Amino acid sequence: MLLLGWIWGLLFAPQDAVQGNSYRIIFLHVPSVIFAELIYFFMAVCALMHLVWRVKLAAYLIKSAAPIGAMITFIGLFSGSIWGIPTWGTWWQWDARITSTLILFIMYLGVLTLHGSFSNLEKADRLMSILVIIGVVNIPIIKKSVDWWSTLHQPASISVSGSSSIDPSMLYPLLISIIGLGFTLISLGILSSRSYILSREKNKKWVLMHV
Amino acid sequence: MFNSEFKNLNELLEMGGHGIYVWSVYLIGISIIAISFLVAKKRIKAVQRKIKFKNASS
Repeated sequence: MLLLGWIWGLLFAPQDAVQGNSYRIIFLHVPSVIFAELIYFFMAVCALMHLVWRVKLAAYLIKSAAPIGAMITFIGLFSGSIWGIPTWGTWWQWDARITSTLILFIMYLGVLTLHGSFSNLEKADRLMSILVIIGVVNIPIIKKSVDWWSTLHQPASISVSGSSSIDPSMLYPLLISIIGLGFTLISLGILSSRSYILSREKNKKWVLMHV
Repeated sequence: MFNSEFKNLNELLEMGGHGIYVWSVYLIGISIIAISFLVAKKRIKAVQRKIKFKNASS
C-alpha cells in the first residue's frame, strides 16, 4: 500500500505549480511526521497505563516503540531538510515547527538513553514512563506551531475535520502513503515488541514453553 | 490522472532538476525502514536462539 501511494505520487500526481517536482517529497515527509507524533502519543498513553495501573506490557511497548519513533522522526527531519534546499534555499531554519520536531527526536533518544542507563529494569520502566509523560507537552506545540508563530512552514494542507486545501490528484496518493506507512510501522512495531517481550520475559515459564 | 507526468526515464530521474532531492530522500528513507525490519527480525532470532539454548541446557 505504501509503494502504491509512492508510485502514484512520484509518477502520476501532477507537478506543483509553485514548487515543481520537489513537492513529491511530501509523500514521505508528511506521513513520517504524522507518525512521529502519533507514536509519541501512543507511548504517552502506554506510560499512563504503566504508572497508574502498573501494566508491565505498556512499558515494554514504550521501549519497543521508541526506536521506531526516533527512526521515523529522523526521516521526517531529514526529508524536510532536503525539501528545504530547493524550496526555501536552506536546509535548516530554527523555526517553531522544525525546532519542536527536533525536540521530539531528542525526546525519543532521551527515553531510550534513560532506560538504558539503569540496571534495575522495573525502575527504568517507571522513570522512562514519567519522562514520556513530561515530553508529551511537545506534541500540541508541534501541531499548533504553524498557527501560533510565524514560521517557514505553511499551515496544515490536510485536515481530518475540515476540507483540505490540497488538490485531490495529490491528496489521494498522500492519504494512501499515510495509511501505507501506518501499516508498515505497525508491522515493525509488532516485530520489535515481540523480540523485546521475549527478552524481558525470557526466564518465565510461558516463554520457555512457547519458544 | 493516471497518465505519467514523465515522458521517459531520463525525465523521471531528473524531475526538472529536482530529481537529486526527491530520489535521495526516498532512497535513504526506504533504506532506513528496510534496515529497521532486518534488525528487528535478527533480534527475534537471537532472542529465540538464546531461549532455546537455555531450554536445552536446563
